[in-house]
Amino acid sequence: MPGSTRVFGMTSILRSASGVVGVALTGAFTLLAVLAHVVAPTDPFASVGSSLTPPSRAHTFGTDDLGRDVFSGIVHGTRTSLTVMLAVVAIASILGVGVGAVAGYRGGGVDDLLMRGTEAVQIVPRFFLAVIVIALFGPGLDRVVLVLGLTSWPAIARVVRAETLSLVRREFVDAAHALGATTWRIVFRHVLPNALPTALVVISLNAASVILLEAGLGFIGLGDPRSISLGYLANNAQRFMRIAWWMTLFPGAAIALAVLGLNLVGDALSDLADPRRRRSGLPRPGA
Amino acid sequence: MRGVPGWIAAAALVVLVAATGPRAQETPARGGTLVVAISADPGHLNPAITTSGATHTAAELLYNGLLGRDERGDAIPDLAESWTIEQAGAVYRFRLRDDVTWHDGTRFTSADVKFSFEEVLLKFHARTKASMSSALAGIETPDDRTVVFRFKQPYAPLLLQLDATEAPIVAKHVYQASDPQTNPANTQPIGTGPFKFTSYRKGAEIRLARNPTYFKKGLPLLDELVMRVIPDPGTQVLALENGEVDFLWGVPGPDQARLKADARFRMAQTSYHPGGSNCIMTVSFNFERPLLKDVRVRRAIAQGLDREAFLRQVLFGEGRVAAAPISSEMAWAHARNLTMPSFDRAEAERLLDAAGWKKERDATRVARGVPGIAYGTRLAIDFVHFPAFSKYGELMRQQLGAVGIDVTPRPLEPAVFAPTVFKDRNFDTNVISYCNGPDPEIGVRRMYYSSQIGPAPFTNAAAYRNDRVDALFDLAGRTVEREKRTPIYRQIQEIVVQDLPYYWLVETPTTRAWSAKCGGFKAWTGLFAEAAFCKR
Amino acid sequence: MSARYLLRRLAQLVPAVAGIVLVAFVIIHVAPGDPVLALAGQHGDVAYYAFMRAKFGLNRPLPEQLVVYAANVVRGDLGTSYVHGRPVVAVVLERLPATLLLMTTSLLASSLAGIALGVTAARRADRTADLLVRFAALVGYATPSFWLAQIAALTLALGTGLFPVQGISDARQAWTGWRYVGDVVHHLALPALVLAANELALTTRLVRAGVLDALTTDYIRTARAKGLPEPAVVRHALRNALLPVVTVIGGRIGMLFTGAVLVETVFAWPGLGLLLLSSIQTRDTPVLLALFLLVSLAVILTNVITDLTYAWLDPRIRYD
Repeated sequence: MPGSTRVFGMTSILRSASGVVGVALTGAFTLLAVLAHVVAPTDPFASVGSSLTPPSRAHTFGTDDLGRDVFSGIVHGTRTSLTVMLAVVAIASILGVGVGAVAGYRGGGVDDLLMRGTEAVQIVPRFFLAVIVIALFGPGLDRVVLVLGLTSWPAIARVVRAETLSLVRREFVDAAHALGATTWRIVFRHVLPNALPTALVVISLNAASVILLEAGLGFIGLGDPRSISLGYLANNAQRFMRIAWWMTLFPGAAIALAVLGLNLVGDALSDLADPRRRRSGLPRPGA
Repeated sequence: MRGVPGWIAAAALVVLVAATGPRAQETPARGGTLVVAISADPGHLNPAITTSGATHTAAELLYNGLLGRDERGDAIPDLAESWTIEQAGAVYRFRLRDDVTWHDGTRFTSADVKFSFEEVLLKFHARTKASMSSALAGIETPDDRTVVFRFKQPYAPLLLQLDATEAPIVAKHVYQASDPQTNPANTQPIGTGPFKFTSYRKGAEIRLARNPTYFKKGLPLLDELVMRVIPDPGTQVLALENGEVDFLWGVPGPDQARLKADARFRMAQTSYHPGGSNCIMTVSFNFERPLLKDVRVRRAIAQGLDREAFLRQVLFGEGRVAAAPISSEMAWAHARNLTMPSFDRAEAERLLDAAGWKKERDATRVARGVPGIAYGTRLAIDFVHFPAFSKYGELMRQQLGAVGIDVTPRPLEPAVFAPTVFKDRNFDTNVISYCNGPDPEIGVRRMYYSSQIGPAPFTNAAAYRNDRVDALFDLAGRTVEREKRTPIYRQIQEIVVQDLPYYWLVETPTTRAWSAKCGGFKAWTGLFAEAAFCKR
Repeated sequence: MSARYLLRRLAQLVPAVAGIVLVAFVIIHVAPGDPVLALAGQHGDVAYYAFMRAKFGLNRPLPEQLVVYAANVVRGDLGTSYVHGRPVVAVVLERLPATLLLMTTSLLASSLAGIALGVTAARRADRTADLLVRFAALVGYATPSFWLAQIAALTLALGTGLFPVQGISDARQAWTGWRYVGDVVHHLALPALVLAANELALTTRLVRAGVLDALTTDYIRTARAKGLPEPAVVRHALRNALLPVVTVIGGRIGMLFTGAVLVETVFAWPGLGLLLLSSIQTRDTPVLLALFLLVSLAVILTNVITDLTYAWLDPRIRYD
């Protein structure tokens, strides 16, 4: 069956060095996020020490300007940022799968219309949209999630559409129908597993931009001060760059490593999806 | 001296005087360009139609007021060379200088003053409009050099409201028969000030040049003044350290220690700011909320707050814990040795217990027998603030959490904050930077006066009503002699510290910094560079 | 590339612009509060709001309003910004050149550097140089641009004294002619460098992938076997690799504007970034909307140009 070999093959991601590093990093961060309360039981919002103390035995990554533990901030910040990323991915996936499957399945005029819509959404500059939305609706991470979720689905839609189209062409669908399978069952059992690797590439590349977008919004004054996320930490550290290097270095390293991990996983997955295709991880134009 | 011929003694005296007089001291250098960093593009350069800090910072050097202010905050002559107060303060008569010309050469007369107030300031300048328009009966100009202000009742604060920040004088011949808000002179201004307008590149810089016909002889000393728009405070400091700018309006807290230790720079702290002076970060209690009706609860909140911590962690020590409801910068109105609620957690807990709020298993206190509050209600309040003040929210949450009060900070951006607090009154507590202004009548009255409860922003947020306080403010506003006003304001402050409609956290001065090559700055006024110089 | 394709591609501009206008329209009306506040800003007076209500037909049914709004956008009339006292579109267009200068310089720098680094990485694939290049590019991408900007200002400007930390020109001296150009270039160096560093990662990765891919094709292997010198081989592989670089520029324009905004804020570069910042602080929503529309339009136009360039570069692609 076409679907299962690809799924099986995903474990071969571990064959390349970068794949291993990527999975390790991403795994470590995910674990950190899930076990946040165990790894860092200190409340990241609580003042537990004097302000701006460098790394010490009591506070491994030092304290920030309000005396909050930086390590705790990073661990819980990872959790928040990861949750945001997952929420964005969830929204984008639902929309992307829906649009892509319908477009590929129906073809013709419906396909055309949906693809025009997809292009239009892909054009929207996310940062500027987020600025307007926050300026009109007020700050909050939930708005950021919505804006990103509603603008990130086109890439996924394209991938799902491509897979659906290839299956349709192979008359696979007719045969499956003859055997009594419903449309959505076909989509879930066959389209999605094939689309998954390429979709994951897209997702991993997008995920990093969530943190950076959020940090950027905070820098121009549109951040959400109620949540400690990696973006918030990056923004907060900026004023103290010259007198508290630990506030800049550790969150910065965390962001860089998270982005690195996600990108390496994305790279390895795209190598897997089609080793002979360009390892760019981007859908070809016109696809 | 005996025996020395008179003429030798006289000559010696002359030489002595010449050697020790001003000439022998260092003469401030003439000429040069001063580069000033400003944080925001002003949009336009007319300070008479707005109270925006950005516009006033950039434009006040182009204008003058009838009076100026000295280092202590007292009125000194500017466009007006002298004045008399008549009828116990109901009439003010100003004699104007006759050697003042506008930057385009036209003579300055009393008609300009009358026009500025009637057609511009009283219509568009928020603070002047709010304080003067109902009190003013009329402005007369019996001749070119005289302006008379007539008030319906004695009006005390006038002399401190007449500088370029509160009442800049604009040219009648430029603005008459036009809408002051859209007149093109707003971006090509013509004033009387020490500097005249050269160019304004939007979003980038404003260039000013020395006014050769300025009425204060010998001033200004600089040839050129450039204001650069640099929004990021960190970049402003870098620019100062790199020699690209010479003067900063405000040094960020984290950088102050480093600059102070650097011999290349000088610093001065001041509470004056063109957008609003003598500001105090103030927590308001919404009197209309049942949870806050009991003064013991408000007192407990006050005593649960460690204001020194706010000063250290939010302001990096730049400022003072507010020792009285009126800013210490107005020494004559500030109540000395007032007994303010002290930081005392044990006492706060005792007060809450006494008021019927008991601590149970959960950390937050619960109502057990509080009149008007349902049994079992949690002591949970919200705290509304500008996003920029989120550190205050954080500290409130932590400190009050320790005594069993659950505080939820609610950041609201400025455009939403004002209607939420003043129109809808949808808040329990908030923090506002209430600027007292040059006189308590300008910035303090509006916080406590009962008629100031309403939708206009930054008025009486607490919805505090006290007839005695109202009457005292009325009296203080009518009493011109400062020494008589002092006890009145003291009484007001004693009452409000007992009633606690607000809790006054910290006074927030700013620190100016400049290159040691330059000097002569007056940090306490908008005409800060009138006598400034830069050595080359 | 046929004229038919060209026309067809240009015709696709219309639905794209329509989509953007629709998005802006939806946001204006879904936002809490009176839509006139979003269109006219917070600072207007009653007379101005009445005027804007009439101009945008806010009393008419929604579909009609959409048409009116679209017409106004196309005409370039988005009302007046009360904060600036001038038409919104004029305010935005006035700041555009500085930002365009910054963006095109960074794009050029990052593309050239990306090509150089990508080729190097591809030729030494999976060896230390390759890993170093990929890692450095990734760090440039992962670091928030405002950090990178401040670190650059600290180390490269203040640290060496070779570059200025702010502005587009010298505050003390007003240069003219070629010396002015030199002054601007001097001020442009750091902001463009920082922005380019942010963008470098993607270009490097694409070029590397493209070159690697091309180097393994039969065509190239034959050429090598026939003794074609290495630089010529690389050149052929590069031509192939450039195609996706061109395509992806269109997609990156949005991110480039974003990066420009943040970098401009740190370096006080007087372009759209500073305008965005001040409009956020004053909640000057008409200007924010205009910026959104302008950037979207720029993305659309860039996409068209890159598609056309792609088709021109690679006649094998059939677009019917």
